[in-house]
Amino acid sequence: MLEKLMLKDKTVVITGGGTGLGKEMCLAMARAGANLVIAARRLEPIEEVSTLVRDLGRKSLAISTDATNTSDVKSLFDTALAELGKVDVLFNNAGIVREDSAKPIWEISDESWRIGIDVNLSTAFYCSREISKHMADNGGGKIVNVSSGFGFRGGRDNYMYAAGKGGIVNLTRAMATSLGKYGITTNCIVPGFIPTEVTDPDSERAQQRGRFIPIGRVGQPSEMGPLAVYLASNASDYMNGEFFAIDGGGLAGGIAPTLHAPEIPLEI
Amino acid sequence: MDIPEGWDLTGKKAVISADRRGWTGFFAAALTEAGADIAIIGSESSDMEDAKSKASGNGRKVLTKTTDLMSKESVDQSIQNIVDDFGTIDILVNNAKADFGKRFEHVSESEFDTLIDFNLKSMFLACQSVGHTMLKNKKGHIVNMTSNLAVRGLWNSVIPCASEGAIHQLTSSLALEWGRDGIRVNGIGAGWLTTQNKSGATEPDLLDRYLPSKRKGHPNDLTQMLVYLSSDSCDFVNGQTIFIDGGALAHA
Repeated sequence: MLEKLMLKDKTVVITGGGTGLGKEMCLAMARAGANLVIAARRLEPIEEVSTLVRDLGRKSLAISTDATNTSDVKSLFDTALAELGKVDVLFNNAGIVREDSAKPIWEISDESWRIGIDVNLSTAFYCSREISKHMADNGGGKIVNVSSGFGFRGGRDNYMYAAGKGGIVNLTRAMATSLGKYGITTNCIVPGFIPTEVTDPDSERAQQRGRFIPIGRVGQPSEMGPLAVYLASNASDYMNGEFFAIDGGGLAGGIAPTLHAPEIPLEI
Repeated sequence: MDIPEGWDLTGKKAVISADRRGWTGFFAAALTEAGADIAIIGSESSDMEDAKSKASGNGRKVLTKTTDLMSKESVDQSIQNIVDDFGTIDILVNNAKADFGKRFEHVSESEFDTLIDFNLKSMFLACQSVGHTMLKNKKGHIVNMTSNLAVRGLWNSVIPCASEGAIHQLTSSLALEWGRDGIRVNGIGAGWLTTQNKSGATEPDLLDRYLPSKRKGHPNDLTQMLVYLSSDSCDFVNGQTIFIDGGALAHA
């Protein structure tokens, strides 16, 4: 039964695959047998990951892509199809939290807003639009979006990230509803606070956050691996339009002092 | 007092359950202020008398009926007495709830039973008992008070959370079942409430800093919604639990 989790001969395209959570998901899927097309704006990190994937005996391409640019997106999938023949799985993982965008709403420029929404939301739409027809013609496929706890809840002064990731949540539902009949499932990973090289795990902020997460610590990027494998594999074929929070209990309770409640004797 | 059109409860007969949290009076006062006659049901140790004094003075009838909210016999008896006195019941506000905080592994079976009986079974009994009158009238409003714990977990609060979650679903499904009988069943989910006077406070505590509202709520933050959900204005609202929590649920 567990062999369903193996990804042998599957081709996975992942955006934002060079660093952080994307890198860990790539490596886990490669270990499970997948061939990987890794896209990101900066070539150097994705080439490094691509080399690691090839070292595991899988095929891999690193393609410099600005996923907010639709002609880049087209050439990403054209190349993937030309080189590997098919695309079975798409991971829409691109997204950014720009520290410089954490400011009062009246100080956010048009450009900041557009870039934020483009990167955090439009990239998933562009990539899904580009490859879903191929998947439909191929009898099916799997699309995995990556949202965030902030896709369900607000955070202070993170407008584009929260709005974009919230958009990902309902894009997932819309795609799941619409593409299911073509054999394409769409699901969504909802990571909580998982510091990477982008957000330093040893920073005081990360440690502080850990104290407010129900299980008492922040997440590790490697913990994304098994979940990515499951959602890319045929083991999750009946799952569609669902959200998988991996957040140490953050959404169940709240990254908040609500964690600590007093003892009160029962008196009625 | 001026009340917007449609919010007037003049002539309506309401029942509200009381507990030991000290909030009943604020809700009861809002109902009488809007024009309703009210009956408060609860135990001797509840805030029933405080509620009576807060709700009096608006020129409406305020009754109290000592009631064991966990006993069908007692609830049925009180509701019958109120119907005899008022002639009918238009509004039921299930307010009574017990506070309880303890680590799950230490909760005794009797604590579990008592809390579930007081928080949940009491609502079942009151809805059913008042329901007979409302079903006959083909009209009625039920407002079930619940809290953020209906949808969020909290330490030391497994059983309260389970009871609030159950109340949330009781509201949804009873609304469905009685919707075509003219009865509206809705809820109000409170956030962190306190009746402590703020003026003595020095520094805001951790929770105040966390809440988007930068303060805990007061029962008076919920009273207008309570009046709305008790009024005929809310006829197209059914099965909803409205959370009034200073933004706590919106926050990560």
